[in-house]
Amino acid sequence: MGRYVIRRLLQTVVTFGVVMFLLHYLTTLAIQINGNPVRTFFGDKPVSDSVLAATKAKFNLDDPCLTRVGDPCMGIFQKRMGDWFLRGDFGTNFKQVDVMESILKAIPVTLQLFLIVTIVWILFGITAGTWAALRRGKFIDYFVRIGTTLTVAVPGFLLLLIVQKVVGVLLGNWARDTFGRESVLGIIFQPSYNAKYAWLTLLIPGIVLGVFGIAGITRLSRTSMLENLRSDFVRTAKAKGLKPTRVTIVHTLRNSLIPVVTLIGFSLAEALGGALITEGIYNIPGMGKLAYDAIKTVDTPVIIAVTAISAIIYMLVNLLIDLLYAVLDPRIRYE
Amino acid sequence: MSDANLQVAAATAPKTQKQRGLWSDAFHDLRKRPTVIISSFVILVILLIAFFPGLFNFHDQNVKYCDLGLTRGAPSGQHWFGFDEFGCDYYAQAIYGAGPSIQLAVIVVTVTIIIGGFMGVLAGFYGGWVDAIFSRVVDVFNSIPFLLGAVMLLTMFRDVQVPLIGGRLQAIIPAAITLIIFGWTSTMRLIRASVIESRGLDYVQAARSLGASDMRIMFRHILPNAMAPVVSLIPLSIASMISVEATLSFIGLGVRAPEITWGMMISSGAPYFTSGFPRLLIVPSAFLIATVLSFVLLGDAIRDALDPKLR
Amino acid sequence: MTEVKVKSEILPDADPMATLLRVEDLRVEFHTRDGIAKAVNGASFSVDNGETLAIVGESGSGKSVTSQAIMGILESPPAKVAGGRVLFRNVDLLTLSKERARRVRGNHVAMVFQDALSALNPVWTVGFQLSELFRQHRGMSKKDAMKRSLELLDLVKIPAAAQRLREYPHQFSGGMRQRVMIAMALALDPDLLIADEPTTALDVTVQAQIMRLLKEIQLERNMGLILITHDLGVVADVADKISVMYAGRIVEQAPVLDTFATPAHPYTKALLKSIPRLDTKGQRLEIIKGLPPVLTDLPPGCNFAPRCAYAQEICTRELPLLATVAADRAAACHFSSEVIRDV
Repeated sequence: MGRYVIRRLLQTVVTFGVVMFLLHYLTTLAIQINGNPVRTFFGDKPVSDSVLAATKAKFNLDDPCLTRVGDPCMGIFQKRMGDWFLRGDFGTNFKQVDVMESILKAIPVTLQLFLIVTIVWILFGITAGTWAALRRGKFIDYFVRIGTTLTVAVPGFLLLLIVQKVVGVLLGNWARDTFGRESVLGIIFQPSYNAKYAWLTLLIPGIVLGVFGIAGITRLSRTSMLENLRSDFVRTAKAKGLKPTRVTIVHTLRNSLIPVVTLIGFSLAEALGGALITEGIYNIPGMGKLAYDAIKTVDTPVIIAVTAISAIIYMLVNLLIDLLYAVLDPRIRYE
Repeated sequence: MSDANLQVAAATAPKTQKQRGLWSDAFHDLRKRPTVIISSFVILVILLIAFFPGLFNFHDQNVKYCDLGLTRGAPSGQHWFGFDEFGCDYYAQAIYGAGPSIQLAVIVVTVTIIIGGFMGVLAGFYGGWVDAIFSRVVDVFNSIPFLLGAVMLLTMFRDVQVPLIGGRLQAIIPAAITLIIFGWTSTMRLIRASVIESRGLDYVQAARSLGASDMRIMFRHILPNAMAPVVSLIPLSIASMISVEATLSFIGLGVRAPEITWGMMISSGAPYFTSGFPRLLIVPSAFLIATVLSFVLLGDAIRDALDPKLR
Repeated sequence: MTEVKVKSEILPDADPMATLLRVEDLRVEFHTRDGIAKAVNGASFSVDNGETLAIVGESGSGKSVTSQAIMGILESPPAKVAGGRVLFRNVDLLTLSKERARRVRGNHVAMVFQDALSALNPVWTVGFQLSELFRQHRGMSKKDAMKRSLELLDLVKIPAAAQRLREYPHQFSGGMRQRVMIAMALALDPDLLIADEPTTALDVTVQAQIMRLLKEIQLERNMGLILITHDLGVVADVADKISVMYAGRIVEQAPVLDTFATPAHPYTKALLKSIPRLDTKGQRLEIIKGLPPVLTDLPPGCNFAPRCAYAQEICTRELPLLATVAADRAAACHFSSEVIRDV
C-alpha cells in the first residue's frame, strides 16, 4: 500500500509541475505572439515610453524574453510559480481587482453548486444504473438507456438555456402566480441565482449541471453491475445461502462501485468546464462566472487563474480518488 | 459467465461452419435497426447541407443579404424560418451554419484519431517506459478541464491569424487546433487499451516468433484488431466535437466571424425566446440536437454491434 | 417470517431414514436466442451418506448444470427446470419456497467451485467471507464467528490461520485458495457436498492433496459427496459410484471398479481408451471422432450414435433408455451387452 501511495504522489507532483509549466508556456507564448498587453491598459490614449516602461515593470512584463517567440522564459516561470504558490498572488485583472481575492470570494458558491452535482450523480446516476442492471430488459432498463442517450445528445449549454427559459421563466411565472412570489416552487423555478435563497436557486442549475456527466456514471454503474451479477463469486454467495439483498449489496454492488468511483473523479473535469457555462447562464457568482465574464472582456489573468486553480483542484481530487480506490480494491494495494 | 451457461452457449453454436466474422455480423445487424436507418439518413442530409449548402438554397437566398427593416420578420413561403434580429434570412443562416461546425468536427476527429492512434499504438505496444511517458503526457493534458483549457487558448490567441490559409479555413482552424490539443487524449487512451488487449493474442505471438518486425506486427496485425472500438468512436467523437464547438460559439469563442454556426444563432436567439420570438432559439436548437442525436445514436449502435460480449 | 436459525427446523419433513439425495428424471432447459437448449434430459441418480458419486462427462454434457440445479442457483431466466424431482431425504428441493430453499444451501447442501480465484470475492478478507456464514445463518457475534472461522482454516490444514483470516483471496496460492473454498462449504456442517471440478485448475501434486483432504473430511463426517469432473484418474481414486453423462443424459451408472473394468456404454469405453497410458508407448492416441451434439437440435435417436463404433440403424431411430444390465449397473445403449463383452 505504501508503495502505491508514494507512486501516486510522485505522479501527481510530476504532472502538477508539467501542467503549471504548460500553462505558463502558453501564457508567455500568447504575449510573444500578440504583443505586450501593457498597451491595452491605456486603451487608445497616447502614452509616453517612460510610462509604458514603468507599467511594464510594475506588472512584470518587461522581461526581454517576452519578445522572443517560443522562448520558454524560465525566469518568469520561476517568478510566476513563486507568486502563485508562495504568495497566492495571481495578479490583478484589468480593473486592478486582485484576482485571488475574487476567486476566494467566488469559490464557496461553486462548492455549493458542486455539492448538488455530486448528490445528483450518486443519487440518480448510480441508483439508476444499478436499478437498470437489476431489472435488465424491463422498462426501467430501457428508460435509463434512452435517458442517458438523450443527455448526451443535447449539448449542455443548450439544455441550460432551455431549462432556464422553460422552467425558470415560464414554469416559474406560473408558480409565482399560483403560489406566490415567496413560495418554495416560486423560488426554485428562477431563471437566475438569488443570494437570499442560495441553496434553493442553485437546485435547478445544479441538477442540470449534474446531467452533464451523468450519462457515463449511469452507464458504467449498469455495465459494472451486469458484469458482476454474472461473476463466479456472486454465484458462490448464492450457494452460501445468503439472503438475496445481502448478495446484491455486500457482494455485487460493493464490487461494481469500484470503477464508478474513478469515473466520478474524471467527470469532475467535465463539470468544472460545465460550471463555466452554468454559472454564466444562471448568473451564479462562482468561479465559473468569473471566467465567463472574463471571456467577454478578454481578461486573461482571470482566465489563467481559474484554469490553473481548476487544474489543481482536479489533480487533488483525482489523487484522493486513487487513494480511495486502493481502499476499495485490495488487489491494487499489493501491486 | 458461469461455466454452465458458457458450455450451453458453446454447445448451441450454429452448425454452419461459415463464420461471418465480427464486422460482417455487425453490419448485417445494424442494417436492420430503425434507429440506425433513421440516424444514417439524417446524417447524410446534414452532411449534404454542410458540404453542399447551395443545394438547399431553394429560393436563392444570399446569406449575406440582411435588411434591418425586416428584423425578426415572420416566416413566409419564400422565407421558411423568417428573419433574425438583423433581418437576415433565418433559413439560409441555418443551412449555411451547418458547414463550419461539421467540417471542424470532421477535421478534429480525423486528426485526433491519427495522432491519438499513433501514440496509442506505440504506448500500448512497447509498454514500459515508453508507455509511462505517454501516460504522463496524457495525464497532463487531462488535468486541464477541456472547456477551460479551450477557453483559455482561444481567448489568449483570439486575434492570431494562422499564416498561409484563408477564408473558411481561417475561421475554423484556430478552434480546430484547440480542440485537437485537448481532445487527442481520449482517442489515445482507447486505442492504447485496445492495443494492450490485442498484444497478448496468440497470433501476435506467432507473428513475432516468425520474425516479423515490430512495425509489421503493429500495423498489419494489431492495428486492424484494435480498430473496432475506434470505428464506433468516430460518430461519437463527431457528435462531441459539434457539441463543444456549439458551446464555444455560444460564448463567442468558436468558429470565427464572418462564418455562422448554430451556436452563434442560439446565442443571439435565446433572449427572444420568452419575448415573443421563440423560433429564433428553436430553429438552430432543433438542427443542433438533430445532428448530435443522430451521430450519438449511430455511434452507440455501432459500438453495441461490435461488442462481442453482447453477442 | 421469523428467522429460522436452528438447522433442524429448516426441513421439518425430512426423513432421516431416506436416501440422502435422490435425483429423479431431472430436466433443465436454457432459453437462448438460438432456441431451447436441452442441457439436462432426464438425469437420475442417488447418493447416500458416506458415499462418493462421481459425475463424469465432457464440457457441455450437463454435469455442472445438474449440480447447480440441485443447489438451486441456476439463473432463471435463461435456465428453467422443466421437470423432475430432487429429493433430499424425501423432500423435493425444487418445490420448496425460495426462502426455505435458500436456507438449505450451506446448511444441508454445499458446493465447492472450480476456480477459487474467481469464486471468492476479491474485496473481502477470507475471514469475512467465512464468518459471514456463521453470522448470517447462525446469528453468531463477530467474535464467535471469527473463532469458528479460525477452526475451519485449521480443519483444512491452512498454516498460520490467524494471520490468514485477515488476508485477501489473491494473496493465497491456488491450492490454499481451494482449501478456503472447501472450508467455506463445510462451515455449516452440510450433509451433502458437491464439488464441481475442484482440482481442475490446480497442479497435479496439489490435486492429490486436495482430493485426500476431501476424502478425509467426508469419512469423518459421513457426508455424501458428489464429485463432478472430467478427469477419470481422480474418479478411480476417490469415487464409489460413477455416472457418465453425455448430451444431458446419464448414459452409464455403476460402481467405479465395474465401470473401469468392463464399461457398458460405447462412450465410456471410448473415454477410457483415450486416456494416455504409460505402457502403450509409441501407439497413436485414441480419440473420439466427431463433435458433441448441438443442444438446441438434438437428434431423435441416441445422441452418441454419430460418433459410436457400435452404432446400428436402430440407434438413429430409437432413444435407448437407461436400463439395468447387471446388478447395480445401468447403461443407455441398445448394445450394452456387446460392449461389456468386448474387452
